[in-house]
Amino acid sequence: MNGVPLLSDGVWSVGSIWLVILAGGLLTYLTRFGGHILISFFGTIPPRASAALDAVPAAVMTAIVAPVLVSGGWPERVAIVVCLILSFRLPLIAVVVIGTAMVAGARALGL
Amino acid sequence: MNSADGPSIAMTADAASERRAAIQTLVPVLLAVLPFGVVYGAVAVQEGLTVAEAMGFSAGIFAGASQLAALQLMGIGAPVWSILLTIFALNFRHVLYSASLSRHLGAFSGPQKALAFFLLVDPLFGAAEVRASSRRLTPTFYLTYGVLMYGSWLLATLAGASFGRLIEDPKAFGLDFVLPVYFLGLVMGFRHRGAFYPVAATSLIVSVVVYWLAGPPWHVSIGGLAGIAVAAVIGPPKRVSEASRDTAAETGS
Repeated sequence: MNGVPLLSDGVWSVGSIWLVILAGGLLTYLTRFGGHILISFFGTIPPRASAALDAVPAAVMTAIVAPVLVSGGWPERVAIVVCLILSFRLPLIAVVVIGTAMVAGARALGL
Repeated sequence: MNSADGPSIAMTADAASERRAAIQTLVPVLLAVLPFGVVYGAVAVQEGLTVAEAMGFSAGIFAGASQLAALQLMGIGAPVWSILLTIFALNFRHVLYSASLSRHLGAFSGPQKALAFFLLVDPLFGAAEVRASSRRLTPTFYLTYGVLMYGSWLLATLAGASFGRLIEDPKAFGLDFVLPVYFLGLVMGFRHRGAFYPVAATSLIVSVVVYWLAGPPWHVSIGGLAGIAVAAVIGPPKRVSEASRDTAAETGS
């Protein structure tokens, strides 16, 4: 994503863009009710599976964030660690604002 | 509806308070999520999508991270199947969400369930789980939250797609950093759940290693599954109800 509108090169027709939208939407909906189908099919959830389900949001979201530590530059790495510490004390929206301001500030200073 | 009917009055008052609770829970989340809708709309038109196509993604997929990933892949001319696979991989977590949520949908009719699953996004999953840990999850609460969030997401996309060309350099404002730090904050909201630290540490390490070896988006699915496996091995916490109530207080703020 470097700001150059690559899509206008003609590789992507209007039809294929809408195919991605429709098929991607269907696949996403499948994931959104798929777990319900599985549970209805297999019946009750054993306690161990329930503990696993409880861990889903934390596990997946940690996995989304983690690469910032290795893929970003130093301002991003420092900011994410600072935000981690702040999040023990501050509400979510404050942490987001502070973290984004830190990174924007570092870039403005050319760090 | 008969206004002299006691139960129906009680139900109406109940519905109003459920609706109010949904909106109160939603507003702070909207402040955090709507900027992503605007960013998505802006990036989409900058990459060459029309406003209608950008809106189509938000209406049909309604999942910001996978919408941005699809955009990125289309930008490098990736084949359709690889984009669909990426969307599926990034959204695979919803299988786990819907499995967990289906325990709480006793009060929902068939069509309400169908709509509820269509609207199942990360913050709504969090809000519904928190709600269900302290009282019965009602269709009014869930659908009010979900429908308002869906409408807001479309409006935010439209705003971004309409005015996106005005933002010269989104990176200068640190907008690409909003998403990671937002997810970080969400994760920390779960820190009082049983086995949080071993789960998060495992996901962190596996995600970094997979990111390094295989690249995105595999780090999300594989890193996530590794943490979930750890939680399954550790097993349920001893005092389940108290633990989930702590989580309710934590993530409800």
